[in-house]
Amino acid sequence: MAEEHTTAAGQPIQEAVIEAQEAQRMPPNDGRWTRLFDHFKREWQIYAMLLPTIIWFLVFLYKPMYGLQIAFKDYSIFRGVANSPWIGLEHFQTLFSNDQFLRAIGNTIKISALNLIFGFPAPIILALMFNEVLHASYKRTAQTIVYLPHFISSVIIAGIVITAFSPTAGIVNTIIGWFGLDPVYFLTQPQWFRPIFVGTGIWQEAGFGSIVFLAAIAGVNPSLYESAVVDGANRWQMMWKITIPSILPTILIMLIIRIGNVMEVSFELVILLYQPATYETADVVNTWIYRQGLQSGQYDLAAAGGLFNAFVAFVLVMTANTLSRRYSRTSLW
Amino acid sequence: MSGVNLNGIVKCYGAVEVVHGIDLTVAEKEFVVLVGPSGCGKSTTLRMIAGLEEITAGDLTIHERRVNRIAPKDRDVAMVFQNYALYPHLNVADNMAFGLRIRKMPKDEIKTTIEDVAGILGLTEYLDRRPADLSGGQRQRVAMGRAIVRHPKVFLFDEPLSNLDAKLRTQMRAEIKRLHNRLGVTSVYVTHDQVEAMTLADRIVVMNDGRIEQVGTPMELFNNPANTFVAGFLGSPPMNQIKGTLTQTGAQVGDTEIKISGAMNGQAGRDVIVGIRPEHITLKASKNTSALPIDLDLVEPLGSEALLHGRHDNVEMVFKADTDGDIAHLSGVNAVHINPDLVKLFDAETGRALNFGA
Repeated sequence: MAEEHTTAAGQPIQEAVIEAQEAQRMPPNDGRWTRLFDHFKREWQIYAMLLPTIIWFLVFLYKPMYGLQIAFKDYSIFRGVANSPWIGLEHFQTLFSNDQFLRAIGNTIKISALNLIFGFPAPIILALMFNEVLHASYKRTAQTIVYLPHFISSVIIAGIVITAFSPTAGIVNTIIGWFGLDPVYFLTQPQWFRPIFVGTGIWQEAGFGSIVFLAAIAGVNPSLYESAVVDGANRWQMMWKITIPSILPTILIMLIIRIGNVMEVSFELVILLYQPATYETADVVNTWIYRQGLQSGQYDLAAAGGLFNAFVAFVLVMTANTLSRRYSRTSLW
Repeated sequence: MSGVNLNGIVKCYGAVEVVHGIDLTVAEKEFVVLVGPSGCGKSTTLRMIAGLEEITAGDLTIHERRVNRIAPKDRDVAMVFQNYALYPHLNVADNMAFGLRIRKMPKDEIKTTIEDVAGILGLTEYLDRRPADLSGGQRQRVAMGRAIVRHPKVFLFDEPLSNLDAKLRTQMRAEIKRLHNRLGVTSVYVTHDQVEAMTLADRIVVMNDGRIEQVGTPMELFNNPANTFVAGFLGSPPMNQIKGTLTQTGAQVGDTEIKISGAMNGQAGRDVIVGIRPEHITLKASKNTSALPIDLDLVEPLGSEALLHGRHDNVEMVFKADTDGDIAHLSGVNAVHINPDLVKLFDAETGRALNFGA
């Protein structure tokens, strides 16, 4: 039989090793800060990897917040942010007595609502459709085609839209012409701006947006489908009773993120597609801020508009997250 | 009348044939276990019966009806999956009712069926819970409940206990056996665990490399394995197998001759594999036994028994011995004594069992 090795104190070696390992694992009983310090010392590599992201956030997202104070100041570029005098909520009063700003809020909400109603389900439907395609190469080709518009610059997208809806050479008016109807100059008519804008957004982003839902679908346990097949479910029933409920947490998370961005209507595309004739339906908060801030030089008023925008987005995302957590046990945080 | 009949069943994935013409008949109300190592084709065979895999060639009949081209839902089978396959967004009652709702059974009938089956499986108080709020054993019971409520002609089990811990597995094994005795439904059960196979099966089908090695009752397979594979697969620990040469009265294994019952019919000199079950030895010599010297290097106590690990002629061997409450006396063992009636012989080349008759 093997000889049992012991420590100088007569304790078996194996027992002593286990005790030492346990002692290392147990947090020392000398205060929270010491434990925190020990934790950082032990896991410093992980925090080092996190550092670039933290620095990026601080430099590009937190430092600029210093300038937000001009929303409450009579800002002058000559006096600078610090030396401009405080004027309280005067800019906000100006904003809410400005018809154009109120109109921009209304337009933003309407466009976002249309985006949410038509644009949010589009990638989900697309992902569900891709999931039903069995022919692998057809599926790959179709996916590539619908992903492509995402990688095209907004300027080119706007160019394509302007050309497509052109009253002289546009494909849309050409088709209208086949039915003997007069051409329509869609982009100068306010009632057409929102459908064209939302439709363009869906065309550009639905394909790429479907990737996250396709990934969620790929994560559904295949046995659930096999079990359903044995139980007698058809593909339609499997989609409604297995796929959609299984990806519901992902759908809710994406919805919360989307609600948080309600006030962030695709700024570049609006700028590129709208014109004074369509301001009535096309001018959104961000384009209004852009015109006031950069074109008219009212930086303080524009900052107040931006702050209001951010505040609304913050309230919306908090509310959506709280509701989602309460009713579906799914939340961003 | 046969419950399930497989006739020359072949399965190919592309050019690769993974199941090579299986013939098997499962009688009505019989509990048949397909057992074999990973990749032997047992799950593929089960999935072909379920209709989840296409059959490349051969005929599959369930209750006398050829079902090769019949959709899974119309085969009247229910399957219990390895990972339970419970719908995470549905509670226990809805999980069990899923198949019935698909088949448009009236609501009150569904409710009665679910309550009855939940009562049988001890799930009544969990009907409102979701799978995430259940233990492994409870989830497994729900999975079985979902299969039972459909009153199928055939139950198919695909390694249903492999995700459970050892204690729960033993408990659930007994529950499945009791359930089968009560419901009397034809069952085909796949496992790689030979203990499950031995305890549950009316008949065991040992599979290897896409072929059936042997079919028989658990004790037939244990006592008379058809070849070295079956001998090595069934039994815990498996049968010791050591090369030897036949003599007039037994087999020469290294420097030792082991006496074997039965006439050798002039086969002396033939190369064989001698099979000795770990439990078919004694530590004390008696009339007719042969002593097999071993170099003992490890004694593993199991409680009432201990495993003796040793070597003979550089071949590792394991034997079982009674402890009588203490293993101290086992550390001095230097030979085991073999009963000549219990030694098995296999052909050294083909591995097939040799039976020279008593």
